[in-house]
Amino acid sequence: MPEFNAAGAKLYVLSYDEVDALADFKEAHGATFTMLSDPNSEVIGSFGILNTTISEDDHPWYGIPYPGVYVTDADGMIVEKFFENNFTVRPGPEQLLAAVKGEDVQLAEKRSDYQGVSVEIEFEGDSLPVGITRQIVARFSVPEGMHLYEGPVPEGLIDASIQLDGQLEGIVAYTPITPETIPMTLTADGHTLQVYEGNVVLRLPIAQNGRAIEKDEEGRWVSIAGKVQWQACDDEKCGTPEEQSFSFRVPAAFTVMADMGPGEGRVPSMNGAEHFKKMTDRHGTAS
Amino acid sequence: MQIERDTRGVELGPNQYEDAEGYIAPLPAGFGPRSNPLGEFPTGPGIGQRLPDVVALNSDGKSVDVHSDRDGKPVVLVFTRSAVW
Repeated sequence: MPEFNAAGAKLYVLSYDEVDALADFKEAHGATFTMLSDPNSEVIGSFGILNTTISEDDHPWYGIPYPGVYVTDADGMIVEKFFENNFTVRPGPEQLLAAVKGEDVQLAEKRSDYQGVSVEIEFEGDSLPVGITRQIVARFSVPEGMHLYEGPVPEGLIDASIQLDGQLEGIVAYTPITPETIPMTLTADGHTLQVYEGNVVLRLPIAQNGRAIEKDEEGRWVSIAGKVQWQACDDEKCGTPEEQSFSFRVPAAFTVMADMGPGEGRVPSMNGAEHFKKMTDRHGTAS
Repeated sequence: MQIERDTRGVELGPNQYEDAEGYIAPLPAGFGPRSNPLGEFPTGPGIGQRLPDVVALNSDGKSVDVHSDRDGKPVVLVFTRSAVW
């Protein structure tokens, strides 16, 4: 939370829970963000993100959203959003802060050898708990007048991308976050491709599913490996395809889980069972 | 739009069900709270659009209008399934 305040952003968390459940949660966890109650799923419905795979009579599950996050700028315009099919995975705070702050990139100087592109690869975060995404960030420094390709590309060209090692067990990649592209038609064969201009920042959210954890006397670890690949071109010709490998070993950490039962990583009690019973009853035959 | 439910997965043992991405949970994929959409699903307003109005009660029971409450600041708005379970 201090990081969100420092970034000048306000954090709101909305769910279909009742007000008193949110109050208990806030107290149990010392939460300082604003929690919003939408017990009839009106806001969720107005956003069009009600989980309709759950039938209306399936209490207490009916009414939940497809979970996700919207990030706006100071004018309230949406600048980024995070949704994945699997609710098990959710964006980590590093990812949200990166979206709030945006990218501040400077153009590199024009060079004539087509090899002027450099890339810095970072694992953004200090741990990788189960189901919480962190990003692998590739920051390309691209000389003026040159561009990189967004996929898909025709055979013979290489699009700029971050790829995990195919042998990697337990690490799952999610929807890449990429800058806007502009269309460019190749003079040689008339193909129109989407290209990134200027300095390019690619982000690949990844999470681990619990199978990636290695234990030793110092703790629980996750290893991540892969490569960033690209090919830089100007209006006339292209440089050779290039790639740069990366590998990171970070603490696996623990995922905070709800308090409905005992287990590793559970958080302090907030009368979860009691609130749950109320939820089961509230829209059911009892009402 | 009819959204399909993702029921892919395998039973590993009692209360141990693995989904298509390798996550293990006590419920089978596609059951109750473990209902994920398969393929395309709606994710609401898009990038570049204004965040729709959000008016809801906070944990003190007071009404909050996000666009006025944010006081000219950027917003991170999280839609989560539940704070209870």
